[in-house]
Amino acid sequence: MTPVAARLAVLLAVAAAGCSGPPPETPPAPPNPVATIREQHLPNIELVTHEGRHVRFYDDLVKGRVVAINFMFATCRNACPESTQHLVEVQRALGDRMGRDVTFLSISLDAERDTPEVLRGYAEAHGAGPGWYFLTGKPDDIEMLRRKLGAYDLDPVVDADRKQHTGLVILGNEPVGRWKAISALSKPVRIRQAIERTILPATEWPTGDAVVKEVPYEENERGKELVTPAEIAALLVHD
Amino acid sequence: MLTRRDILKVGLATGAYGLLGPVPRKRVFASDLPPSPRTTPFVVELPIAPIAQPVRPFATKADPGNCVNVDGTTAVHVHGPRVVTSNTQFFLIHEQARPHSFHPQLPLNSIWGYNGMSPGPTFIAQSGTPFLIRFVNDLPQNDPVGIGEPITAIHRHGGFQFEEDDGYPLDTFCTGQSRDYFYPNEPDDGLEENEHSTLWYHDHAIDITGPNVYRGLAGFYLNFDAVDSLAGELDTSPRALRLPGRMVRLASGEQFREFDVPIVIQDKQFDNNGFLVFDSFDHNGFLGDKFVLNGAIQPFFKVARRKYRFRFLNGSNARFYQLFLSNGQPFVAIATDDLLLEHPVTVKSFEIGPAERVEVVIDFKNAALGQEIFLVNRLQQTDGRKPDQLVSPGTPLLKFIVDRDAADPSRVPDTLRPVTEGPAQLLPRVKVKREFDFERSDGAWVINGEFFDENRIDAKPKRGTPEIWTLKSGGGWAHPIHIHLTGFFILSRNGSTPPVLERGRKDTVAIGGPDFGDVQILLSFPANFRAVPRPVTGRFVFHCHNIEHEDMRMMGQFDVQP
Repeated sequence: MTPVAARLAVLLAVAAAGCSGPPPETPPAPPNPVATIREQHLPNIELVTHEGRHVRFYDDLVKGRVVAINFMFATCRNACPESTQHLVEVQRALGDRMGRDVTFLSISLDAERDTPEVLRGYAEAHGAGPGWYFLTGKPDDIEMLRRKLGAYDLDPVVDADRKQHTGLVILGNEPVGRWKAISALSKPVRIRQAIERTILPATEWPTGDAVVKEVPYEENERGKELVTPAEIAALLVHD
Repeated sequence: MLTRRDILKVGLATGAYGLLGPVPRKRVFASDLPPSPRTTPFVVELPIAPIAQPVRPFATKADPGNCVNVDGTTAVHVHGPRVVTSNTQFFLIHEQARPHSFHPQLPLNSIWGYNGMSPGPTFIAQSGTPFLIRFVNDLPQNDPVGIGEPITAIHRHGGFQFEEDDGYPLDTFCTGQSRDYFYPNEPDDGLEENEHSTLWYHDHAIDITGPNVYRGLAGFYLNFDAVDSLAGELDTSPRALRLPGRMVRLASGEQFREFDVPIVIQDKQFDNNGFLVFDSFDHNGFLGDKFVLNGAIQPFFKVARRKYRFRFLNGSNARFYQLFLSNGQPFVAIATDDLLLEHPVTVKSFEIGPAERVEVVIDFKNAALGQEIFLVNRLQQTDGRKPDQLVSPGTPLLKFIVDRDAADPSRVPDTLRPVTEGPAQLLPRVKVKREFDFERSDGAWVINGEFFDENRIDAKPKRGTPEIWTLKSGGGWAHPIHIHLTGFFILSRNGSTPPVLERGRKDTVAIGGPDFGDVQILLSFPANFRAVPRPVTGRFVFHCHNIEHEDMRMMGQFDVQP
């Protein structure tokens, strides 16, 4: 073996020993999922409520709470009204649990036009009550928040269309680190049920038929048609 | 002992693939996850999951009906003890959290696996001998890792089983509970042409399948019959195909399948300290930058100069692969999904989407002893939307080291499984066609405008009756669509004859995006199983197998009518 090869062999042997050797004395601890979510998804950006209060997203709105977060803007005329309307229905169904057990955070994607005053008008027009905050802030901050919460499209053209980001409700129980998303266009009953489950410990959930059958049974064979003999004949020729 | 030649070869191999790091990816994820730590490729041997061993028959139990899913539902199918045949074989599998080494340079990670392993034990079934498998949920209730929920349902993917045994997403069992699954292990229609080869089993619990499978709940389920037989290449029956593979008994007494190698490919992501990460805020389809084959990152596999059968399964949540051999050698494809092709097809490469299987024969007979050949993925994918493009040289996933000679009595006959009930026979019986549009709508995914709802039925096909379904998708997203309780023929893709590897029966098909477009498929549903004669009816699901889309409810259900 030449000296160079010998040196390389030693290096490789050392590397190989490093691969299979004993683990370091204090192995790194696995991450804490609650802390990881806070670091990666819940930036402490500054926002203003529709009541003109200056707040921090994490410290004042999310920390220690159960939240339902959606993105909206007051002039949105297509997808947004249905989302907001669904949340209004959910608010009604939740009754006095609003603000006590769950906080709604509706964050504007149009910070320039959606001043606190505009949002206040929007909140009043929709009958938003206690525990529902409409929020505005610096566009760059909100853009970052939107991405961190997963309300974005991978197609830049679609992503540039603000309406596309109003269809998601992000549900979180911050202290226990339980987060999920449901479409704002889901049936309001399903959204309310999802919020209730985010609030309650699993042992207290309503379950089974009480959950499933709250939406009436439906058969909807959309897209079904009868096949004509001509179609089959054409396919058989093709085959 | 390393020689200079070995060192040079290592140098060349690593040089050629740029030290084999991940394909560069755009940072577009919600959390901007940092790249995984570097790992030296090809220092771990490809793990092969042990074969599941039968146990003494036991009394089967009624299904638990009170495991509460993350959406508050409980099981729809709560049946009594299973009716089994006298020749049924019994198995007992425990779902467990166990330390697992993905790579010696990473710390041990707590995975969830069947019998604590990922992939889980490989089931080896023979047609006509049903299995009764009891899965016991021993997963921890307060798991510190935060990936997955200890609520599970087992789906035998590609298999034909009754509705209560199909892993319907609501039919779960919780920590401390178990559920018995009866698998008839016979072709759906009694026709030999429809015998299955490579199935897999994995978690299917509503809304949490993505993290549960990612955490490790997946394994192989292989099926053999008189033609594609367990004796394989050593079978003396004139009917036997004698494809590569045989059973051997190791010195330990353990059974092992040689020259017939199931390989599940998955992508995973690790944090700076080497711990597995998952992003529950990413609904687009989670991608990792480490390629894990049978549980090990970029392993090596020593082969003899002869033919091998490889059963590739894409067990990734959202990533597509296109696989090549580094020496330019072609693959001889023999099966797609769970069915052998009518004739073998020689291809330079093959694409494999999430949940798809492709079986190939690779013949190493012309390789030099000591030669190293890499299995390379050249398909770049940077987000959950769709694969981007072929790149060069790509990322090597596995290194074959040709290190010995071995006799090769195997063959690849020109005819594998003749199609005796194909479109020509099935089409005249079709009465109904359906169209399903898999769309993205306001940040979520829907089928014909609807999310999966437990209390809505989307189709009512009749048992034993073929139908034509058109699966459409606009908007630039790729969706691997899996339909339970059926195998189907692809009649056309974008109006044209499908590519060569899509002309056999399949159970999962990619649609959407510029590459895949729309497909028209011909599917039939079984009428009865011979093992336990009873109409095969009831509720089954179909869904996108980009599991994040599935968990966001890009799923429908059909109720098979008597």
